[in-house]
Formats: sequence, structure tokens, C-alpha cells
Amino acid sequence: MSLEKPSTPTDIGVTEDGIDYDALAELLGGHVLDREQHINAEGFVIRPDEVQQVLSTLKEEAGFDHCACVTAQEYDDRYESIYHLRKYDDPTQELSVVVPSPKDDPHNESAARVYDTASWHEREAYDLVGIDYDDHPDLRRILLPETWQGHPLSQDFNQDQPQIVTLRENANPLQEDKRSEDDPDTMFVNIGPHHPATHGVLHVKTVLDGEQVADVDPDIGYLHRCEEQMCEHGTYRHQIMPYPDRWDYSGAGIINEWAYARAAEDLADIEVPEYAQIIRTMSAELCRITGHMLALGTFALDVFGDFTAIFQYAFRDREVVQNILEDLTGQRLMFNYLRLGGVAWDLPEPREEFFEKVRDFLDDLPYKLEEYHDLITGNEIFQMRCVDTGNLSPETVKAYGATGPVARGSGVDYDLRRDDPYGYYDELDWNVVTESGCDNFSRVLVRMREVEESARIIEQCIDLLEQWPEDDREIQANVPRTLRPDPDEEIYRAVEGAKGELGIYIRSDGTDKPARFKIRSPCFSNLQTLPEMVQGEYIPDMVASLGSLDIILGEVDR
Amino acid sequence: MQSAPLPETLAELAGLNPDSTPVMIVMSLIGAALIGSLMMTNTALAGPWAKRKITAAFTDRIAVDRIGPFGLLIIAADSVRLLSKELIIPDGVDRPAWDLAPLLIASSALLGFAVIPMGSGLHLADPEVGLAYVFATASIASVGLVMAGYASNNKYSFLGGLRAVAQNVAYEIPLILTGASVVIFAGSLQMSEIVAAQSQTLVGPIPSWYAFVNPFAFVLFMIANLAEVGRNPFDIPEAPTEIVAGYQTEYSSVYFVLIYLGEFIHIFLGGAIIATIFLGGPAGPGPAALGIVWFLIKIWGVFLFTQWARSAVPRVRIDQLIEIGWKGMLVLSLANLLLTAVIVGVVA
Repeated sequence: MSLEKPSTPTDIGVTEDGIDYDALAELLGGHVLDREQHINAEGFVIRPDEVQQVLSTLKEEAGFDHCACVTAQEYDDRYESIYHLRKYDDPTQELSVVVPSPKDDPHNESAARVYDTASWHEREAYDLVGIDYDDHPDLRRILLPETWQGHPLSQDFNQDQPQIVTLRENANPLQEDKRSEDDPDTMFVNIGPHHPATHGVLHVKTVLDGEQVADVDPDIGYLHRCEEQMCEHGTYRHQIMPYPDRWDYSGAGIINEWAYARAAEDLADIEVPEYAQIIRTMSAELCRITGHMLALGTFALDVFGDFTAIFQYAFRDREVVQNILEDLTGQRLMFNYLRLGGVAWDLPEPREEFFEKVRDFLDDLPYKLEEYHDLITGNEIFQMRCVDTGNLSPETVKAYGATGPVARGSGVDYDLRRDDPYGYYDELDWNVVTESGCDNFSRVLVRMREVEESARIIEQCIDLLEQWPEDDREIQANVPRTLRPDPDEEIYRAVEGAKGELGIYIRSDGTDKPARFKIRSPCFSNLQTLPEMVQGEYIPDMVASLGSLDIILGEVDR
Repeated sequence: MQSAPLPETLAELAGLNPDSTPVMIVMSLIGAALIGSLMMTNTALAGPWAKRKITAAFTDRIAVDRIGPFGLLIIAADSVRLLSKELIIPDGVDRPAWDLAPLLIASSALLGFAVIPMGSGLHLADPEVGLAYVFATASIASVGLVMAGYASNNKYSFLGGLRAVAQNVAYEIPLILTGASVVIFAGSLQMSEIVAAQSQTLVGPIPSWYAFVNPFAFVLFMIANLAEVGRNPFDIPEAPTEIVAGYQTEYSSVYFVLIYLGEFIHIFLGGAIIATIFLGGPAGPGPAALGIVWFLIKIWGVFLFTQWARSAVPRVRIDQLIEIGWKGMLVLSLANLLLTAVIVGVVA
């Protein structure tokens, strides 16, 4: 499907202290029309009809194998698509490829033939912004219904005109007994939007051949809440921070907040005090544990089939973490704890009690994990079900931009906490967990082992916080009440969310609100791998594979 | 142990002539109503209350405890709730079949109890083909499952119905073959004979129940029985996370209650068969009048086992299930049958 050749990527433009964009520009020669300075990387402006050529050169000869995100936006005089490229080996090597297209007829060449992951990203750009992508394999709306009029993030869209899409108007999936055209023996089944195994409102259009899956097409967008647009209407300083909690609502809210905080702080050049960074690191890892516990519990639910012991055990133990987070933030789910330049407040008093509570949890955790291993990973039937099902090769992982435990379960050693350090992670002693099984079992195992690593991080943070001198507990940097970053600055920054690379792209326009706010959701990219994983598998394995991807529909649809 | 069948006892109690056919018909009906009510009571206890409590205990929860002592009145509350729900009849269902399926599922399992000797004189009939009859009635439920799955006009139901057939065919053969090995031991299909054959002691205080005489057959039978009643790891025909609820997806209100009831009676029937042919039926310490108590303890034990499996064991995949059934269980049960026949032939 891609123009990929079996060649080893070379190190063009790689130097000791970062990336040499001149060398890259030389590689592309006359294709580079202009060079923009984004905060995270340089942006090469290229012609809209040379996208495939430029990107495949960059992918094969310069080693940019990770197309993290595609951002589309409309300016007063043009449309623009930005391809945020990075490397799986070293994500600090970044490059933005900026593709302007004319205002009256916005279209440019699709990148989906170079990076499979661009397929969905470009569909979203087409859906929300209205750019046409030539040579795209399947350019349909993705988040909004097929019958939607206009593109909501384009400038001439009438925001005040309500649009009601009735079931009658939208394609009614029950109308006909759709069968795959080339095989009359197959049966079309709608799995979802309401189905016990879809973990939210996901609609998987499935074609079955007996019990086996002949074709799947995930249909998303049922939970689309215009998060990007809402963030564009909020001020940097305070109004945006509550929204990230609502993306990945598996309990991983503080990590989402950090994604926004990291992007906005780098954009406005805010330095976060060390003490606050440690609190952030600790709370983010607590959140990761709640997220992984939920993933483990619901995966067990998919494989065991009912709300059985393991689901309840996972929730029982997750409850302990939630109580700790409640003590810390005052909230159990929508934390709103981080602030630009720090955190909302210091650890709860009395501090000793808080430390003791966390330590109790950390002390119990090994026994609980052992219990999980007895019940889940040690169970022969569980192994029968999960080993060697839902196979996802490292190549597919990279082609689809999958990250997080999904990538690490396929042996792709990619973790932004280590590779693109932020917070206090590089000062602490912990390991990135990878498994090479590439199957459902590996993904579950990665999450379970990551819980152990998170516990290690939390323990070190607790030690540091306990010893921190009392007069130096600075939780908040000096940040102006109204934040107005310089106009026309662009930044893409990502953190390692519970599900993978959670990135934020912000473009400033000199006001106190972002001109463009784009969320790169790890679940969105991870879900794209589903059809690759389940082709020819049995229905139960499809359900298990979907569970092992650990998608949160709130983050997929945003 | 041997006691007169229940209708005769009833006729004697009423002072009527046990030789007259009309009297016996009436008394049999009364006896059947008694046995049926007893099993329904057990089911009522198990479905809305005990199942919740047991699962809760396995999963660190409390479950129903608001209404009545230990939440027992939830049984009444649930009955009212379920019966007062709207019966939704989807478009395009195959009416007579769709309506009959829940009845068939619920009643077929109940039929089996007619020949089960429950002790304390609770034994409705004792035909010479007792065991064959029980297996036959238990299998009628499969027809109900297919009817429900096929008539519902729903693809999930359809898949569930097909899975139910595949599973029942794959596991009933090992089930019956293993049951047949017991018949070889006892030398009779008659339930009372099978129970009587287990009344000796094996070694010391251990009774010669067939579970102790041939533990291998007992384990095989327990596993096949799990598949027969459709509980984890073999709850594939329902598989909520895969095919929503399988054959029962489209059923609501009373029809749902009937299917649910049928499932529980089926579990108890499985328990009753196991108790009778492997655990000495109503045998236990104390006077023979306590037989029914021991019998109920045994079938509740089997029920507890199914709930345990449901809470702790993952579900196998449909192809793995068929593989286990045809390549594993069938071969093992056949070997068990042959070995038993040889041993019994040589020893006796």
C-alpha cells in the first residue's frame, strides 16, 4: 500500500545537538519552497502536489518513520495541512511538513499512501476543516454524520445554524441485509454503537464469514464533543485546563492536563518549579495506574465474559488510587489539578498521612499484581485465548502511528517519558517496558508491568517530596494573569499518556486564546490498527483485540 | 433406601386405592406439582438472590442487602419487576416458534426431575430407562435454543443459536458416554438401582459413590456438564461481550424470565444428575428421612461450582470449544467407557 522500499533509513541531518535542517532541506532540494520556524521543529513548506514525493523521501532517506499527527487549519488567505513527523528511535528529531493549499479550492495530495496513519487524520481534516486530499483511498467524513453540511472548523461555517441529523436522514444500518459484494456467504453485522464490548459508543461495521471476521470498518464520531473548538474558545491561563480531563476519562486526566500544560508552557516560555514537577510526575503516574487498571479490568471483562472476579479486583485496587488522587486534587475524575507553571495546590496536610497512604498502596501493590498474574496471565485458558491472537507487527505499528502499550507490546521501544523527557522523569530510575509477542497477551503484560514501573516512579517521587526543604516548596511559577503568547507561534508537544503519545498543537495569534488547537489522540491512531489485527480472526478474538487496544472513545472522538 | 414412588405414598396418605388408574393420575399430578414447586423454589432462591450473593462473595462485593433479611425479599421485588416489564415483540419474528421457545426451554429441564430420587420419598417415577430419560429431556432444551435463535430475526441470536447447537452436540456425546460408564457399574439404567448400587462403603468411612470409585469419570462429567448448562468457560451461546446475549437477545419480560428460569433449572437438573449417579443421590449421615436435605446440599454444591467457574475462568473460543469437545472429551470419555467395561467384565 505504501511506496515503502526495504531500505535502512540513513542519518541525514542528524547531528550531536539535534537535527540539522539545512541538510534535510538539501535532501529535498527544490521541493522546499520556504522554511518556517515552529517552536518544536522547523516547518518545510512544500507544494500541494508533491506531498507523496517529499514525505516518502523523508521517510525512507531521512528516517522519519512516525507521522504523529496531521493538523489542518484555515488562514485568511489559504488552507494549510501540517504533517508532524518524528522518528520512533528518537522522537526529539522532529520535522513539520507544511502544505498550503488555495483558499477557493483547497486540495492537496494525500499522504495516506506513504503513512497509513494519515488516512484517518486526513479524513478528519476533510471532515472538520474541509480540505480535499487527492489520491486518498477513502475520503469520507469520519467524526460527523455523512449528511452534515459544511466543515465546522472552516471560517465560513455558520456556527449558529443548528443541524439535526435524524436516523432517517442518516444511513440506517438496519435497512438492508448488507453483504460483502464479492462473497454472498458472508453476513454483515453491526457491532455497536451499543454493544457490551465496544467500551463506549463505537460502531464496528463487521462482515462475518461464519464465525470469522472477513472485514471490519470502525465507525467513530458518536462521542464527538468539539473539544478542539471548545479549547479554541477558552483562554490559555485557566479556561482550557478543565477540558483535557474529559478526553481520556479512564482516570488518566492529569496526564492529559500535562499534555496541554507542556505545550502551552513551551509556547509561552514558562519555567515550572522543580517541586511542582515532582508532584506532577507523581500524580501523572498515579493516573497511569488507574488507567491501566481500568484497561486490565475491561480486557478481563472481554475475555472472561462477565463482570467477574478480575474486573472487580482491578476496580477495588483502582479505588485506592482514586482515593489518593481525591486527597491530592479534591476530585476523583475531572481533576483540573495542573496549572500553567505549576499545580493547583500543594500536597494535602497532614503530609505524613498522605505519604503513609501512598506507601501503603505501594506496599500492597506487589501482592495484588501477583494475584492478577495468578488469575489472568497464569491461567491456561487465558493464554489459549490471548497468546498469538490479534497480531500486530512492529511494521504495522509504525505505519499506523500506534504508540503507548500497543506499540511497546509489539516490541517498538517508544516512550516519550524517556525519549523526549519532560517533568522529572529523566532524574528518576525506571525502565521502559516492552514485550516482543506482538499479540493481545503482550499488550496486557506490558500494562501490568508498567503499573510496577509507575509504582517505582511514585515511590521515588514520594521520597523526594518528603525530604524537600519546607521553605522551598514552590508549586507555581510566576505567570501573568492573562497569557498572550507572541503571534504566529506554532508548537506541537506530546506527553506519554496512558494510551500513548498524546500531543497538542497550538498556533497563537497574539490574543489570549489559541487560534488553532489540535489534539493528537493516541487512541485515534491505535484504533486504526484494528482492521489489520482482526482480519480472518474469530469474533471473540476481535473483541479481545479491541479490548487490548484500550481505546477510550472520548479521546478517539474528542 | 428403596421407597415407594411419590404418587403411591400420596394415595395411601389420602386413604385412596393406589391400584385405581384415575386416582393414580390425580396423585401423579399432585406429586409432579410438588416436585415442580420444590425445584422452582430452589430456582427462585438461586436466580435473583443466591447467584448475586455468591458472585458478590467471589468478587469482593456485598450484593443485595436492602430489602428483607440478607436481602431475601429481593426475590419478590424482582418477580414483580420482571413480570411488569413490557413484552417487546420485534418486527419479523417467527411467531409460534418465537413464543414456544421460552416455554420449551423452561419446561424441558423440569421434566427430568420426574425420575430423580430425591430421598425422603420424593421420587415421582422410577422407570427402567430412568437415566436415558433424563438425558433425553435435558436435550430438548437444545431445540428450544435453536428455535429462539432462529425465530428472533436477529443476527446475534442466530449466531447464538448456531453456537448452542454446535456446543451441545459436541458435549452431550461425552456426557452420555460418561454416564454410560456408570450404568456399566450399576448394571441398570434405573435411577433407584444406581443409587442403591452406591450405598456400600468403599474403604473405611468413604462410601462407594461413583465419584470415588471412578473420579476420572466424575471430572469428565462435571466438565461436560458445565458445557451442557452453558457456564464459563463454556458460556459461548450467550457470550455477552461477543454476541450481546446470543439466542435470548430479543426476549424481554416474561419470556426472558422463562429462559432465565430454564437455565437455572437446567443447572439444577445437571446437579441432580451428578448427585444421583456420582454422589450417591440422597445418601448421607443421619436417618433416611433427611435424604432430601442431603440431596439439596449436593445439587447446591454443583450450583456453587458452576458459579465459581463463572467468576474465575475465562471463556474459551468457539473453535477451541469444539476442539476440546471432539478431540479431547470425546476420546477421553470413550476410553473411560471402554476401560470401565473391561474392568467390570474382568472383575465381575
